[in-house]
Amino acid sequence: MNTELKRTLRKLFKNPSAILGFSLLTFFIIVAIFAPLISPPINPMFPDENGNPMKLDNPYIMPILSWSSDPVPPSKDHPFGMIAGRDILYGVVWGTRTAFKIGLIVVTASTFFGIIIGSIAGYFGGWVDEVLMRITDVFLSIPFLLAAMVLTTILGSGLDKVMIAMIIFGWMATARLIRANILQVKEEQFVLAAKALGIKNYIIILRHILPNTIFPVLVQATMRLGSLVITAAALSFLGLGAPIGYADWGSMLNYTRNYILGASGQALAYWYTVFYPGIAMVLFVLAWNLVGDALRDVFDPKLK
Amino acid sequence: MEKKPLLEVKNLKTYFYTEDGIVKAVDGVDFEVYPGETLGIVGESGSGKSVTSLSIMRLLDPNGEIIEGSQIIFEGKNLLELSDDEMRKIRGNDIAMIFQEPMVALNPVFTIGEQIMEAILLHQDVSKTEARKMAIEMLQKVGIPEPEKRIDEYPHELSGGMRQRAMIAMALSCRPKLLIADEPTTALDVTIQAQILELMKELQKEYGMAIILITHDVGVIAENADRVVVMYGGMVMETANVRELFKEMRHPYTWGLLNSLPRLDIEQERLYNIPGIVPDPLHFPPGCRFNTRCEFADEKCRKEIPPLYEVNKEHFSRCFYYQKVEEAQKLKKAGESA
Repeated sequence: MNTELKRTLRKLFKNPSAILGFSLLTFFIIVAIFAPLISPPINPMFPDENGNPMKLDNPYIMPILSWSSDPVPPSKDHPFGMIAGRDILYGVVWGTRTAFKIGLIVVTASTFFGIIIGSIAGYFGGWVDEVLMRITDVFLSIPFLLAAMVLTTILGSGLDKVMIAMIIFGWMATARLIRANILQVKEEQFVLAAKALGIKNYIIILRHILPNTIFPVLVQATMRLGSLVITAAALSFLGLGAPIGYADWGSMLNYTRNYILGASGQALAYWYTVFYPGIAMVLFVLAWNLVGDALRDVFDPKLK
Repeated sequence: MEKKPLLEVKNLKTYFYTEDGIVKAVDGVDFEVYPGETLGIVGESGSGKSVTSLSIMRLLDPNGEIIEGSQIIFEGKNLLELSDDEMRKIRGNDIAMIFQEPMVALNPVFTIGEQIMEAILLHQDVSKTEARKMAIEMLQKVGIPEPEKRIDEYPHELSGGMRQRAMIAMALSCRPKLLIADEPTTALDVTIQAQILELMKELQKEYGMAIILITHDVGVIAENADRVVVMYGGMVMETANVRELFKEMRHPYTWGLLNSLPRLDIEQERLYNIPGIVPDPLHFPPGCRFNTRCEFADEKCRKEIPPLYEVNKEHFSRCFYYQKVEEAQKLKKAGESA
């Protein structure tokens, strides 16, 4: 197994796009971990009695550093510039944490539900399969953005509500994928052999079938981690997601709505307001996609 | 000396409901297995022999159904009346099964040790260390060299013969009373085949278990079985002890089957083959299932299904004309020796 692992790792790191993906991901992880060092959660506008800047109660709410809401171009103090009185660098750095939070929680939860529903449907077949798959179809037939909007209207807006909406409408692809794989694997003789040994159904699913079907799902989940952040951003941009001032790439773009077109005669006057949150998002998605590709290359026996 | 059978299959009918109609894969099969003996079930593909074994284990696909009135009595209990939980306790523990393809009958993501230990831990109240010790012992018993090392290897690291040995170790780890071997050597090459069958015989002697040996290979049956059930079209055509069956078969199908073997004692231009093909199980001919390919068949055979005639106490044949078959054989033998 160890030699196998070494061979896999060597293969992984011979591929330049895999290296790029893993480096980008590592970079984002470092930024997320060291966010309090890169952008300390303090507000110098409000010093306390000793003259030290005020500590923020919630570091995810970007401090308001200026009363002017117009964008301020990048400067030494604010290298990414400012918008709506908030430091863009601060938003991008703490937004990395938000992105990971959204991505990991939503992907973990929706993949979990998808795996449960898909494996029950695939393994037991018959009417169980029929009922579960029709439910899946119903969920799939609802346009996601619309469903998310309706759901957040019912639940109220907020990042957690958006995440709930994304989990509720995000498990179907996984369920279908795992079901299709299980339909294939459950015909394998080792499953029959396991049954002939008297092994319980749920142990057969957990120990004998899932390990043989899980890799495509992991690859898909990895790729989805990136794209979910875009979806969350879209919802935040529409004002459904994070509250105003929350360090989230999508809601930062929300601020730029009035400045996207630039000033008259200068289309690029406020480029920094879109560029920094935007590039963070693009690179984040790219990182996960490249990592997903690399994992698929390693796990998919057909591509070996 | 009348022994009590370990397993009695009575009027077993297993039908599959497909979109094209009902497939009567097994249609009224009776046989017994006595403790410690090897019962061979022989037949062409599609004769229902594998479905019979899966019915005994109650591991049919969901579209297959064992019809009301069938009985599978194991140690006095009708397996068909047990709950799923009770049945699961019998599988692996009392009745174990080995399969045709050792290549795919082991889970590729676990070591063979983990798989053998899983079976032991499931049915026996032992610790993990003990289970591992027992697994190593089993691997040694089935003739896998260096079992302490091999136990941590994955199925793909073993050869086909070794994998079948590992399968046998897994199936026998809980000392079942009955082992169902469904074409256990078909996928192996001939020398390995002989070794595996020899191994099964040895283990049978040691454990005193009964074996149902399912195969299409008449040679394997001749070497290993004590009694034989010949199946065709989902029915038992003939059953007898192995010596009698090979010398004095009383069913045209058995005769054809044995005639199609190469013989070294006479010169043959080409091998005999039974004319025609196995009938489509969706459209069995009326009457005797073999009537489309039988040289003895007449009007009666095309109308009625023959009952199992008692040739002698241990020998039954499902043929109206089993006596004619006997005469024809005598004539043929006389011709050969002349």
